[in-house]
Formats: sequence, C-alpha cells, structure tokens
Amino acid sequence: MIHAITLGSVLVLVSALLAPVDLSAQTKDDTIVYAIQSDMQNWDPPNSVLRESIIMGYNVFDHLAARDLKTGKVGPSLAVSWKNIDDSTWEVKLRKGVKFHDGTPFGAKDVKATFDRVLNPENKLTARGNHAKIKSVEVVDDLTARFKTDGPYPLFVERLTAQVMQSEKVIKEKGHEWMQENPVGTGPYKLVKWSKKQEHLLIRNEDYWGSKPAYKYVRVRIIPEQATQIAELMSGGVDIIKAVPPDQMDVIDKSGQARTTTSPILRTAMIQLDQAGRSGANPFQDRRVRLAANLAVDVDSIIKHVLNGLGDRVATTVNPMAFGFDASIKPYKQDLAQAKKLLAEAGFPNGIDVGFLRTQPTVEPGLIQTSDAIMADLAKAGIRTKARMVGEVGPYTNLVRDGKADPMFEWSWGYYSIFDADAIFYDVMTCNQPYSVYCNKALDDLVIQGRSTLDPKRRTEIYAKAQKLVYEDAAYLFKWGLRGVWGVSNRVEYDAPRDEVDRMWAVTPRKK
Amino acid sequence: MRRYIARQLVQLVVVVFGISLLAFAILHVLGDPVLLLLPQNAGKEEFERYRHLLGLDRPIYVQYWKFVSRAVLGDFGKSWYADTPAFSLVLERMPPTIYLTLSGLVVALLIALPLGTVAALRRHSWVDSLCTTVAVAGQATPLFWLGIMLIIVFSVRLRLLPASGYGTWQNFLMPAFCLGAALAPITMRLVRSGVIEVMNMEFIKTARAKGLAEGRVVVKHAFRNACIPVITVLGLQFGQLLGGAIITETVFAWPGVATLTVESIRNQDFPVVQCAVVLLALLIVTVNLLVDVVVGLIDPRIRAS
Repeated sequence: MIHAITLGSVLVLVSALLAPVDLSAQTKDDTIVYAIQSDMQNWDPPNSVLRESIIMGYNVFDHLAARDLKTGKVGPSLAVSWKNIDDSTWEVKLRKGVKFHDGTPFGAKDVKATFDRVLNPENKLTARGNHAKIKSVEVVDDLTARFKTDGPYPLFVERLTAQVMQSEKVIKEKGHEWMQENPVGTGPYKLVKWSKKQEHLLIRNEDYWGSKPAYKYVRVRIIPEQATQIAELMSGGVDIIKAVPPDQMDVIDKSGQARTTTSPILRTAMIQLDQAGRSGANPFQDRRVRLAANLAVDVDSIIKHVLNGLGDRVATTVNPMAFGFDASIKPYKQDLAQAKKLLAEAGFPNGIDVGFLRTQPTVEPGLIQTSDAIMADLAKAGIRTKARMVGEVGPYTNLVRDGKADPMFEWSWGYYSIFDADAIFYDVMTCNQPYSVYCNKALDDLVIQGRSTLDPKRRTEIYAKAQKLVYEDAAYLFKWGLRGVWGVSNRVEYDAPRDEVDRMWAVTPRKK
Repeated sequence: MRRYIARQLVQLVVVVFGISLLAFAILHVLGDPVLLLLPQNAGKEEFERYRHLLGLDRPIYVQYWKFVSRAVLGDFGKSWYADTPAFSLVLERMPPTIYLTLSGLVVALLIALPLGTVAALRRHSWVDSLCTTVAVAGQATPLFWLGIMLIIVFSVRLRLLPASGYGTWQNFLMPAFCLGAALAPITMRLVRSGVIEVMNMEFIKTARAKGLAEGRVVVKHAFRNACIPVITVLGLQFGQLLGGAIITETVFAWPGVATLTVESIRNQDFPVVQCAVVLLALLIVTVNLLVDVVVGLIDPRIRAS
C-alpha cells in the first residue's frame, strides 16, 4: 500500500516534470492576454477560412487598405492611395519605408507576388475565391502596382482589407510549407512562438511604420470552453475574450475584475423561407404566407426581452453597416389579425404545419431562445412549426447546400467582412446560389447591375430598389443585425471592434 | 506466455484494422468535408476542383485502399485543415493526453486504494457508509460540472491555481483531480469487494495464525491478491479515461490528442481523424496487453493457464 502511494506520487511528479515548462520571461505589466476558442490551422492567412486567422493576420501582417473602426470607412494602410485608370484597371500607390519583419523592404513586387500566389489555382489557397475578379497584377515601379480586373469591380477596395501582404522573397525562397508556420509580415507584432492548440506569443515590432503598440507582448491563449474563458477573465488570467453569451454579461460586469463591451457586427440573422421550392413544394412559395410569417412575429420585443437588446432590427437582410443599406424602409410590425387573414387568403384558413430546420448557436448568440420565441409567435397566427435540430455546422450547411433543408431554416450571414450589400444579396438571395432559397429574376438583375458599375451613387440607388423589392416580397423572415459582446479586464482599455477583428495594438493600459 | 502475447498481437492488428475501417465508413457518411474547407461563397467549380485535389471524387474503396497502403508505412497523409502531416500533428498532441490520463489514474488510485481498503476492513461501519456515499456521489457527478466547479473555487474565488492552460505543475492539479475523481469510485468499490473477498480466504487465516501483525496481513497478503481485478478493470477503463480526457481537456484548455480528435471530426479532417483513431486504438490495445502481462506476473496461476 505504502509502495503504491509512493509510486503514485513519483508518477505524478515525473509527469509534471516531463511536461514542457513555460519559459516566457515577460512580465504581466507589459503583456496583454487574449483568448480565442480554437486555434488557427496555420500562419498563412490566405490558406485558411477561419476568423481566428483573419484576426491573427491583422496583428502580424498588414493589408493594402484598412478599416477605420470609428468611421467604418476603408482608408490607407500599406497603400496610400488608389484610383481607377479605367473601368477595369486600378492603380495603387504604396507606402514608402515599410519593412518586413526580416528587414526586406516592402514594395510593388510583394503585392504582385502575394496576388500571383493566391490567384494560382495550383496553390489551392482558399482565399482565391475572394479575388477571382482580379485577372492580373503588374508592377509599374517600386511603389506602384496596377490591378486588371474582369470588368468593373466595385468591391475592389473593400476586398483589399481582406488580403494580407506577404513577402516576395519568402514566397520564392522559403516556399509554401515554410510559410504555414512562419509568418513574415510588416505588422505591429511579430510571432515569437506558436505552441499549437495552446498559445501564440507575439512581440512588438519595434520598426513598425505605424503607431507603436502599448504592450510589448501579446499572449494569445486557446481556450475552447466558454465557461473557462469567463473564469480566466474573472481570475485575471486573460484580458480580452469575445463572443460572451448575453446571459453571462451580468456575471462579468459584477465581478469587479472585468467588464463587457458590445458593438454591432457585420452579421445579419434571418429565417430563410423556401420561396424557390428547393425543398419541394411548400406554402412559402406564396408571398402571402411569407408576409404572414413576417407579420406574426414580434421581433422588437424578442430583441428587447430575449436578447437583452443585443440586436439591431432590420427591415431586410441588409446590415445597417453595409454600403447600400436603406434606413427609410421600416421593418414589419406584428399584426396577428392581418397574418391570419393573409393565410386564409392563401388557402390556409386553418393555418399550416411546416418543417423548421434548426441548429446550435455557434455564431448567433441566443439562437435557441429567440427561435423558440419566434415559433411561439408563429403558432399564434396559425403557422405551426415542426422543428428538426442538426447541431453540427458541417452537416447543417450540407443539408442547406443540397436543398434538403426544411421549408424554414435558421441562417445568418457574416458578409465575409465585406461591408457592402452585394456581399449578402449575391450569395444568399439570388437564384441558384448554394445557400439561397429565394429566386426572383428582378432581384438578380438589380444585383448584376450593382456589381457592374463603380459609381457609388448609382449603386446606392440600385440597392435601395433591391431592398424595397425583397421587403415587399417578404423574401425571408427578417430578424436583426447581431451585436457582439466582448469581456475586457479592468486593467486595460479596449473597445469592441465592429468588424470583429481584435487589434491588440489598440489595447492600452487603463488610466487609474 | 509467449504464445499468449503472439495471439494478442494478432488480435491487435485485427482490432486496429477494424477500427480504421469503421472510422473511415463513419466519416464518409458525415457529409462533404470540402464544404468546411472552402469559404461558403466559393463557386461550384472551386468545390469540384478541391474535391478532385483531395481525391474525394474517387470510389470509396479506392480511397480506403490508398489510405491503408500508406498508413502501413506510417504515412497518414497531410491534414486538410492544417496543411501539415497528420502523423506529426497527432504525435505532438499525444504526450499531454498521456500525462493527463496517467495523472488521472494515479489520483484515482490515491483516492481508491486507501478508501476502498478502509471500507473493507471496517465493513458495515459508518466509515464504510461514508466511503460508499462518496463513491456514489463521485460516480454521479458529471466531469464537466466538476471541472467548472473546481475552476470557480480554486481560480476565481481563492485565486490559488490557474483556471486553465498547460505547462506548469499548477496546471496539472485540477485536470488530474477531475479525471481521477471520475475513475476513483468504481476503483474504490472494486478494491473494497476485492479486499473483503480475500480477507475471508484460508491463506489469510494462515497468515494470522502464524502470528503476523494485522497490518502486514493486509498489506502483504490481502492487498496483493485484491489488486488483480483492480488492475484488470483499470486497463479496461483506460479507454473510458481517454473519453473523460475529451471533456477534461476542453474545460481546462489542455492541448491534448482527445480534443484534437473531436475537433478534427467536426472539421471532417479525414487524415487526422484516421491517424488519431488508429494511434489511440493502438494505445488502448497495448495498455490492455500490458495489463494482461502484469496480471500474469503478479498471479502465477494466470501465467500457467
């Protein structure tokens, strides 16, 4: 027995000693700790679809253009200006004196190498689809690059905020494999160490061309469980966490250790109604039934009471932060009598029974509770839903993509961080798109027009028409624009970012 | 014994092969992995091109044969997600899980051996009832809840231990206890019944008759014999322990192979799942083989049979 206990203690000790030791020398005062739920796959942002990659990419790399979080407008970053030479040619002037982390100067050759690498189908980089409209990139001189596009490309500047600049030297000399784990950017931080599924340690780039980050070190910890993230925040182990569930806000705010901060984000939630009949013939193919569904639900009170106000009501699917959003269209108000009348007119005086495909709240906070409330409201008008839950994102999206979803299903769209109405209209509301169950030739025409001109005024008019059209046609059951909730330690200052990209260089010590 | 080990080794090959086949079949039922690898707004062409690149457009038996013929040589292919070899990805994550399960095992023994023995020696006393109550409560406690409670008490309230992470001895305490506490009740009950059974046997009476001190009778004679079923069950429980590791690793942000496997299943990263399943199956089968050998060493009767 004694032997067993001794042996046990020795085993525990040995296991503890065998475990790698944390050697980080930095102090708490010059370090900011940021938590993410899952690790990224690699340090090569164009080779990933994860948001974590976008976020980390922003901290270590730079983009040609960047969004000003206060105004929401896209402005200069590594590019200082851009202009159209003609409808399908953009000329971009680059910033002088910028250096990569390895000391190589940044120039037009790097812009060309970056895009050539992404656009080459053989490299199978996932970012290729984002830039498919770009045909080629030419070097005009050291600090000027010219982009040829396939016809007018109004999203060109928006898309520049989604492509990190990588070094020609690294691409050519080190190659793809090496780049997966070794980022060489021009950004405010440099990678020191990546302990996979555990932590990234970043150190300030002292030669950064922009303003100097307040904290010398950034530790990015991977903590999959949300409850653990919150516990870490409240015990001082972590400074910033994101995607805090609405029901946990109070716990954090009352802890005395941390607080919450919220921001509207570029994601719109909706319930898609199968107007196109992709799941087979169904009542939602009739406009009156779709309209009845919109009139049945008291969306405002769901936002207020179920979501604690964490949503911005929208009249259609277009997010208030997206270019082209038309604030003059007023969302539907609940009118049960009218909803019942419309159902009766559509030939359903006794209401309808309809399938509703549901999923887990991976990107949409409070999804379960809000959908429960919506189902209850729909039932009051006679739309009786039969819910089917598919929790995992993969199989769920597969069902939608294959047209095997129910006539109603939950959906939200993050615009791929493109603040433009086209980013939702084209992907989620035009005919024959994988995730669209709405098909209306008139809308398709408007969307094509919108992406074929570079004139912002003309585009605004087109999108206003498009919004009016989908609103009047009650294309989907319109819900709200989401708000993100961040938890922030009381030792730092940090404002929630509207594009959901956490910039560690924007974190400063809190004034006492 | 040699014949026995040889037979076990053949069984090992069959089990690993069967498991890999099963994992392969289940993964292919789950749906199209390309969907999760490309942005949702990628075009049809892009999807087809990707499917071809990954070999998913070939018949399923061709895909399996390709997998097996390479896996035998230790090549499990590249992770579709991380773009690095699946084998090294899984291997890197093995040590944390092994440390965790070993520590969990040790904690379970540290709890179960003394409590189980005391409960057996003081049968039907209040000590026995207390131990049984603790065991029942322990068995009924969900791992997830216990983990979160430990974090709230020791990290948020008392600020004694880091809430999560990996690398220092402090990081070990809560996860090891959590996992150990899950295994301790069943082990404790086995120790208890084992000791009770052995204490009634003739050779214990002989030991006592020889005039040995009671402590020596228990430790030297009773305990050794009571250990045999415990070791066997612990071996069988090893798979369970790995299952528990999934939850423990998630709660405590432990960078182990259990979470990697679950994550890879979610991402439908076939090469990593296949590699992890095969290696974990190998580990479990090897542990069970070792248990059989150890039991044989302790008990000459088993060795002889």
